[in-house]
Amino acid sequence: MKKLIFFILFSSLITSIALARSTGCKEGNCENGYGKWIYTDKTTYEGEWVATKKHGQGTETWPNGYIYKGEFKESQWNGIGILFFPDGSTYEGEWANGFMNGKGTFTWSDGKQKTGIWKNGSFQE
Amino acid sequence: MEVSKNSFKTLSEPVKQFGGLVGIIILIFLTFFVLNNIFGEGDELVAKMKIEEERIAEERKLNKLISSLPSGVLVSFDGTDNFKLSDELYEAVCKATKLIPQRAIMGANFLNFRAHEIYTINGNKIDETFVKWDDEKNKCFAGFVVSGNNVGVDETVKVSGEALSFLSTGIDTRVYFIKNF
Repeated sequence: MKKLIFFILFSSLITSIALARSTGCKEGNCENGYGKWIYTDKTTYEGEWVATKKHGQGTETWPNGYIYKGEFKESQWNGIGILFFPDGSTYEGEWANGFMNGKGTFTWSDGKQKTGIWKNGSFQE
Repeated sequence: MEVSKNSFKTLSEPVKQFGGLVGIIILIFLTFFVLNNIFGEGDELVAKMKIEEERIAEERKLNKLISSLPSGVLVSFDGTDNFKLSDELYEAVCKATKLIPQRAIMGANFLNFRAHEIYTINGNKIDETFVKWDDEKNKCFAGFVVSGNNVGVDETVKVSGEALSFLSTGIDTRVYFIKNF
């Protein structure tokens, strides 16, 4: 029984260490400069950093297929950028506070498009 | 009455014992019949048991299928390097899937700002998630419900859309992309 408990605790420790080593800043400078950060859920950010925040040009890739390429401010999607949805749909245009805000074009995976003004992710008719 | 009493007395002992045994058995059957009518659920219980047995059999079949799938992203559409589900597998995976991870919820919230606000205010708390196969449309639908107080107003928002991709972990499957646009 003692051996089993020891084995479980030892395995947990090894797993935690392995997980900790596979996440965090993996390449470059993730404080001030250009670097690649890997999160525990396998989301990655590769791009510019200012004062440990995502700031400038960068690419954020989610494990479920969302990819944002463009401007970041204070770690949020802010400025001009393009979001690729997992099915191939895209939104290209202006972003504010992590949402489609401003001028932009949404293109569905079948090629249908909608261009205009967006506010917090909603198209303004 | 007296005649039948006398004729019973004239019967041999083994016949009397056999008659007694038959009488006890009939009594036991009658007792159970009466008790079953009073307390038992009869046909209803049998029907429930059959439904449960069918559910367990279906669950075993789905679990066997899930364990045979490759680990990683499974999609129902063309144009990616991920494992493409056949129509039959898409339906089976949909029926077997219960979980919706955080990134799928965050992705769906891009097109629903109110849901995003409540989700964030509540510390990423979800009231309810659902994954359902629609027999009429032959499509898998998934979604979630968030509720909470947003700037003094109690709100409940339901977000739903077509579940187009899943993650197979080898143990279970999870909805990976909800197309709500």
